[in-house]
Amino acid sequence: MDSNNTIGLHAAWVIPLLSAAAFLIIVFSMRLVGFFFSDRNKLAMLAPIVSITAILAGFILFWLVLLDVLNFDGGSISMAWLIVGPAEIRWGIFVDKISVAMIGLVTFISLLVQVYSIGYMKGDRHFEWYFAIHALFATAMLTLVLADNLLFLYFAWELVGLGSYLLIGFWWEKRSAAEAAKKAFITTRIGDVCLLIGIILLFRETGTFNISEIFHIAESGEINNAILNSSVLLIFIGAMGKSAQFPFHVWLPDAMEGPTPVSALIHAATMVAAGVYLVARMMPIFELAPEIMLIVMIIGLITFIFAGSMALVMNDIKKILAYSTISHLGLMMLCLGTGGVAAAIFHLIVHGIAKALLFLGAGSLMHSISNETNIWKMGGLRHRMPITAVTFFIGAASLAGLPPLAGFFSKDELLLSVLHDGQYVVFAITLLGVFLSALYMARVAIVPFFGSVPKNLAQSHESGSIIWVPLVILATLSAGVGFLILPLGSTYPGWAEFINPKHHFEIKPWLMILSIILTLIALILGWSIYVKKLVSAKQISQFIPYLHKTILNKYYIDDFYQWVIDKCILTFGRLVALFDRVVINDTVVDGSAISIYLSALKTRVFQTGYLFTYGAAMAIGASGLTILWWVLLD
Amino acid sequence: MIELTHFQILSGFLFAIGLYGVLARRNAILVLMSIELMLNAVNINLIGYSIFMNASESHRALGHVIIIFVITVAAAELALAIAIILRLYRNKSSINTDDINIMKW
Repeated sequence: MDSNNTIGLHAAWVIPLLSAAAFLIIVFSMRLVGFFFSDRNKLAMLAPIVSITAILAGFILFWLVLLDVLNFDGGSISMAWLIVGPAEIRWGIFVDKISVAMIGLVTFISLLVQVYSIGYMKGDRHFEWYFAIHALFATAMLTLVLADNLLFLYFAWELVGLGSYLLIGFWWEKRSAAEAAKKAFITTRIGDVCLLIGIILLFRETGTFNISEIFHIAESGEINNAILNSSVLLIFIGAMGKSAQFPFHVWLPDAMEGPTPVSALIHAATMVAAGVYLVARMMPIFELAPEIMLIVMIIGLITFIFAGSMALVMNDIKKILAYSTISHLGLMMLCLGTGGVAAAIFHLIVHGIAKALLFLGAGSLMHSISNETNIWKMGGLRHRMPITAVTFFIGAASLAGLPPLAGFFSKDELLLSVLHDGQYVVFAITLLGVFLSALYMARVAIVPFFGSVPKNLAQSHESGSIIWVPLVILATLSAGVGFLILPLGSTYPGWAEFINPKHHFEIKPWLMILSIILTLIALILGWSIYVKKLVSAKQISQFIPYLHKTILNKYYIDDFYQWVIDKCILTFGRLVALFDRVVINDTVVDGSAISIYLSALKTRVFQTGYLFTYGAAMAIGASGLTILWWVLLD
Repeated sequence: MIELTHFQILSGFLFAIGLYGVLARRNAILVLMSIELMLNAVNINLIGYSIFMNASESHRALGHVIIIFVITVAAAELALAIAIILRLYRNKSSINTDDINIMKW
């Protein structure tokens, strides 16, 4: 243990353990407790109580950790795990400003989502199991952000994948949900394998898994450049899988098959945040590989624009939000590619809060209108569900970048970071993406809440307080958290400098005005298309029908993957199966057995069954052996 | 004077008669008797060596010990074989070994 450990550091490792304990308690003791309760509903309520207590305690401990980081700058604790030859592998946690920000985000969002889920999942058949996996998922993500070595991080990384698999496939009786869970797991697995290879490469070069030691060795230039580049690229591919970057984005929209609070959790705080966090955490070695940074930037840019365009044409409210998540993750990656860790993490937090708000709002909508998800079948709901409507507007406006909401500040930081990098083409395309994101946010917020109420929704009403209270909390934060960017007094120098002391808080007025103008144009355009009907969306789509059709079909990427799986992988699989059947099974295994059977058919006539045959054989054999022995001995 | 050679010749004769009996006779009881003859031929051979070998007392006693073992085993075997033959006779009304050819595949 290090000498500088403080209360905050010890609080930090307790946070994931609490949720892990909640998971174990729910899974293993619920049946036992069941003997003492006759009422199943009362029994079911124990699960959320356990998991929420754990995550609430985690959220409270987070403040201790935060205080500690503000006063003592964090630190690390570790204990020995394995000693293999010269390498010592340790369990350890590492607390710094990035990880403390992530702990805050994860515990807070998980807490609200779990509270909300009590209302949303009421009466579900697997109510307890739902909260158990929530606790497991939180454990995994909290461990991931705290891990001080890559092996431990990879552990947690895989657990996050498992958690998302279980949650997306929570309604596994539904075939599409089971398929979506499988798709998410397999798609991210491709990235995971690359990440593991990257970690092993780094371990081979440096002989340690410890992240700060790896940085130290890498910075002193002791790692072969080619190996450094390839391992950084592999780590980035791992991050691409988890953060649903192009071309691994296909799993995220399908992940909507899970319960809506799960989408909120996956999109806001846990699963997809893991990739961005990983790149931010490994930034010192990314910076040593400028070519890879360029790839990070390009992938981020492609994802940003390309997912934004898809979000613009989807009709399913959850799909729109899903593509918007991919798009914003792309923006974060783009920003990381320019080295803007502070801006990316800030946007991660702002986006996490806003997206959790939007998903929970969408869940509240769907809950009251019998699980309808097509936005064109909704309308005029702002009168029926005022709280959901207002909070949804705040979330959407924040992500669209309307001042003074949080999204405005984070987007500004991101743009500033991209601008500093000096790639003006990239900057221009980023502005286009910002415009797109404001436009689709306008669309998804306006269509369900304005216009006339369709007949089938006449019964819709506001959801219960356990559902809207988290919405209000998130909306308040979504409006207010942006001010963290500003310097507050002498202890807090503004977000950018807080994360990286080399950065300084700055404002470029023309950039702010430019982004406000872009957002306003997009919002006005959205307003005139979807409310005033001044411009017909149909006409625009018919203006370039092929493009519209292509985007509506998700650029045929899903179809292409399906084609590759059907034609290439399954054909190859059939060949392998044929080889197995014909060569391995029929020739080697069955063939040897059959040849012995056939030869036995021929040779069994020697077994006459007559006593004297056996006797003669024995006598001849014995004398033969005797003669042989005699001859050999002489 | 009786030499080791006499023992060996006697033993060889008895063994050959036994072998012939086992291979050529068809009566199961006679086959059994021939087997006994072969066992006793071996016994005679062993006792001859035990007497005439140029070795210590304890080594020579080893021959007697083995003979006692052979006799014991032969007695047990005989009891078993007679029982089998009795069952065969009950089932097949014959103890001709040519009739007993079910011991194959």
